[in-house]
Amino acid sequence: MRRYDTVLFLLCGLSAILSAGCGETEPPEMDGGDALRILSLTPNVTEMLFAMGLGDSVVGRSTWCRYPPEALALPAVGDTLHINLQQVIALEPTMAFMITGRTGIIRGLEARGIRAVALRSDTLPEMFESIRTIGRETGREEAARRLIERIEADLEAVRRRVAGRPRPRALFAFPMTIGSARIMVAGRGTFVDALLEVAGAENAFPDRAHWPTVTPQKAIAMRPEVIIINATGDSGAPDRIEAIRQAWANWPSIPAVAAGRVHVLTEAYLTIPGPRVGLAAGRLAEAIHPEVKEGRP
Amino acid sequence: MSEKEATADRAYVDVRGVSFAYAAAAPVFDALSMSIPRGRLVSLLGPNGSGKTTLLRILLRLLKPSAGEVCLAGIRLEEYPVGALARRVAYVPQETPAILPFTVIETVLMGRSPHTGALGFETAADWHAAREALRLTDTEQFSERSLEELSGGERQRVIIARALAQEPELVLLDEPTAFLDIKHQHAIYRLLRRLVAGRNMTVLCVSHDLNLAATYSDEAILICRGRVAATGLPVDVLRPDVLEQAYETPVQVRLDEVTGRPFVLPRPADE
Amino acid sequence: MTLHPLSARRYALTVLVWAAVWLAVSVAAVAVGSRPWVWNSWAQALDYLRDTLYGVATASVVGGALALSGLAFQALLRNPLASPYILGVSGGASLGVILSSLFVSVLLQPIFGFFGALVTVGIVYTIAQRRGRLDPYTLILTGVIVNAFYGAAIMLTMGLVSPETRGDIAYWMMGNIRRFDLQWGLAAVVGGLAVGTAVIFAFLAKGFNLVAVGEDTAGALGVRVDRLRHVTFVVASLVTGAAVALVGPIGFVGLICPHLLRVLLGPDHRRLVPACLFFGAAFLVLADLATSVLEGVVSPPPPVGVLTAMAGGPFFIYLLRTRWRKVAKVQ
Repeated sequence: MRRYDTVLFLLCGLSAILSAGCGETEPPEMDGGDALRILSLTPNVTEMLFAMGLGDSVVGRSTWCRYPPEALALPAVGDTLHINLQQVIALEPTMAFMITGRTGIIRGLEARGIRAVALRSDTLPEMFESIRTIGRETGREEAARRLIERIEADLEAVRRRVAGRPRPRALFAFPMTIGSARIMVAGRGTFVDALLEVAGAENAFPDRAHWPTVTPQKAIAMRPEVIIINATGDSGAPDRIEAIRQAWANWPSIPAVAAGRVHVLTEAYLTIPGPRVGLAAGRLAEAIHPEVKEGRP
Repeated sequence: MSEKEATADRAYVDVRGVSFAYAAAAPVFDALSMSIPRGRLVSLLGPNGSGKTTLLRILLRLLKPSAGEVCLAGIRLEEYPVGALARRVAYVPQETPAILPFTVIETVLMGRSPHTGALGFETAADWHAAREALRLTDTEQFSERSLEELSGGERQRVIIARALAQEPELVLLDEPTAFLDIKHQHAIYRLLRRLVAGRNMTVLCVSHDLNLAATYSDEAILICRGRVAATGLPVDVLRPDVLEQAYETPVQVRLDEVTGRPFVLPRPADE
Repeated sequence: MTLHPLSARRYALTVLVWAAVWLAVSVAAVAVGSRPWVWNSWAQALDYLRDTLYGVATASVVGGALALSGLAFQALLRNPLASPYILGVSGGASLGVILSSLFVSVLLQPIFGFFGALVTVGIVYTIAQRRGRLDPYTLILTGVIVNAFYGAAIMLTMGLVSPETRGDIAYWMMGNIRRFDLQWGLAAVVGGLAVGTAVIFAFLAKGFNLVAVGEDTAGALGVRVDRLRHVTFVVASLVTGAAVALVGPIGFVGLICPHLLRVLLGPDHRRLVPACLFFGAAFLVLADLATSVLEGVVSPPPPVGVLTAMAGGPFFIYLLRTRWRKVAKVQ
C-alpha cells in the first residue's frame, strides 16, 4: 500500500509539472460505442450511481461503500486517502467519481487516462449539483434529473407530514469513542442541518459551522429540546448507548434531557448525502415528532 | 572501670573474620579481623584497592559481609535498629557534590535526622546541636550560605559539622583531607584530635597520607591484600619492611626528633 | 529561605497556608467558571455549577497527584527533567483506556486504565531491578524503552481503526478534564490516592533530602534507601496511573510545579511535599478555568494539556535562565 502511495505522489508531482500549462480538463465527447466503466471512491457517490441505474457500469468501489447490497460484490480498491493503484488499473475504468478536496488523486488518475471528477456534497444544493454532474459526465442527464426529482419529492413528503407543528430546537451529534469530553454536532449550513429543517426542527447550534465540537457548557447554553445522537457501527453497541444516556443524564437543565427526548439512532444513512436523504429526513422527523408516524396525517 | 568494660572499650569496634567480595572472582577481604579501641583516633591505611572504603561501608552496614561479624560496643551490628545505629555512628564521605542548593545550616541539620521524628520536625535541641557543631568546626559564619558557594576545605568542615551534629560516639571518615591544602589538612586533623580528647569520641580515619596519619593518630591499622598487615602505634606500623611489602615501593622512615613520630619518604632507587 | 527550624507548628502552618491558597483559587474558579451572568434558571445554574465543580474537583485531585508524583520521580531518579510519565505509566494507562473503549466496554475505561498502569509498574520493576534493588539510572533507561513500546502500540492501534476513531484517540491523548460523562467516583478515588500519597511522601521527605545528597550518606544517616526507592516508585506510579486513567496524560504539571516551588521554597522536601499537593491542585484548577473562560473567545477551547504546555514552557525557560545566571555569578 505504502509503495503505491509513493508512486502516486511522484506521479502527481510529475503530472503537476506537465499539466501546469493546461486549463481545466474538458469532459470527453461521448462516443456511443464506448462502454462505461466507472470507479466510485465515496459511499454516497456509489449510492447515487446505483440509484441512477448505472449500477452495471460500476466496476470498483471504495472500502467504505456498503450500500446498496449489490455494491458489496464489487472489488474494493481503498479510498481517496489510500488507493490501491494496481488494482484500479487492473479494473480498467474509464472514469472515476469521488468526494474529495485533494487534487493529488485526481491528477494521479487522470495521468493514467482515467477521467477523474471531484464532487462536493457538504450541502443539499451541492449534492444535487453532484448528481447533475454525474449525469452530464455519463450521458445520463435524464436519469439524474429523475433522481433529483425523486429525492425532492421524498423531502417534500416529510415536510408535509410535519407541517404546522411547533419546531423544537434540535441538536444532531456524534458521540466520541474514547471518553466524552466533547461531542461533534451538525452546524448550520451542513446538509444534516438542512434535513433537520425538513424534519420540522430548528438546529440548536446557532452558527454556520462545518461539524463543530461542543463542550457540556455549550450544550447547556444552547438548551436543545431534542437531542439526536447518531451512534453507528461499533458505537451502536448496547454498552455505548448506555454510556451515552448516562452522560446526558448529568445535565437535567437541558430541556431534551428533562423531557426524555434524547434519541440514540444507529442508522448509518442519516449522514450520507445521497439518494436516501429522504429516508434520513423521515427518520429524523420520527424522532423529533414521534406523534406523527408514517402514513398518519 | 571493670575488666569487662575495659575489654569492651579495647574492642569498641570489633571486626571478626569478615569476608567480603563485590563479585565472586574478586574477593576484597578474607577473614579479616581487627579492633578499634574507644576514645582513640585510629588511621586506616593501605594501598589503593585494599578495601578501606569497603570496610567503612561494612561498618556503616551499607554492605553485608559474606562471613564473619562486626560488633559495636559489644552488640552485633545486625542487632542495631536502623535509627539507633545512625545515632551512634557518623560518616564523612570523601566528597560531597553539591547538587541541590541546601544551605550550610540545612546541611548540618540533616545530621540531626536520626534524632528527629518520622516527619522530620526539628526541636530547639536539634537547633542547638547544629549550632554547636558549626562552632566546633569554625563554620558558623557560613550558616546561611549555599553549600555550592564554599571552597573544598570549607565544605569538608561543614560535612564534618554535619557528622558532629549527629552527636555520635564513632566517626568514620573517608580520606577527609584528600583535596585540601596543607593549612586545611592540619586544621581538620587538629579538630579530630580535639574531638577525641575533649568528647571521648572514637574516630576511624581512612588515609592515603601516611605522614598526616603518623602525626596525629593514636593507633594505625594497615590492611593489604584482604588482611591486616600491621596494627598498633604509628611508629610500629610505619616500618620500612611493612610499608614496602604493602605498597610495593621502596621507602625510608625517619623519626621526628621532637615528637618521636615517624615520617615516610620515598627511597631513591639504587639502580 | 527561612532561618527557623522546621518545628511541628511551622509545618502545620505551612500546610494550612497552602491549603488556603488552593481553597481560595478553587472558590474563585467556581464563582467565575460557573458563569453566573448567563444563568437563565435555577436548573441551568445547577448544571453550570455541576460542570464547574467537577472541573475544579478533578483538576485539583489530578494537579495534586501529578505535582507530587513529579516531585517524587525527580527525587527518586535524581533528575530535574523527570516527569510523572518518565517511567511509562501514562502509556500503560492510556493504552488500557483506549483498548477498553474500542474492544471491551466503554463503561470499564477507568478500570482498564488503572489496570494498564499496574501492569506497567510490574513490567518496569521486573526489567529494572537488580537483585531486588532499584537504581535510578536503570530505571530511567527502562522508562525510555517502555515509553517507546507504548508509543508504538498506541500508533499501531490508531493505524487499525477508522479515521474518526483515530481523531478521538489523538484528542484523548492531549488530556481533558471536563466531560459529559462525569466520573465523580473515579475523581474521588484519585483524590484519596493523592492525599494518601502526600501523607506517605511527608514521611519520606526527610529521606528524599538525604538521598539527594548521596546514597551512602543517606544510608549512614539512617535512611533505608532501598525501601524508600521501592515505596516511592510504586506510590508515585499508582497515583499517576489513576490520574491518567481519569483525564488522559496532561503534560507539564508534574514537571513544572516542583521546580516552581523549589524556587519559592528551596530544596527541602519536607516543605515541598505539602506545597506540591496544594499548588499542583491550584495550578491545574487555574488552567482548567482558563479553558472554560477561553470558550467565549475560541470555541472549542484548546485541551487543558495545551494550555499547561503553553504557560509552563516559557516560564520554565525564564526559570532556567535566571537560575543559570545565579550559578554563573558565583563562579
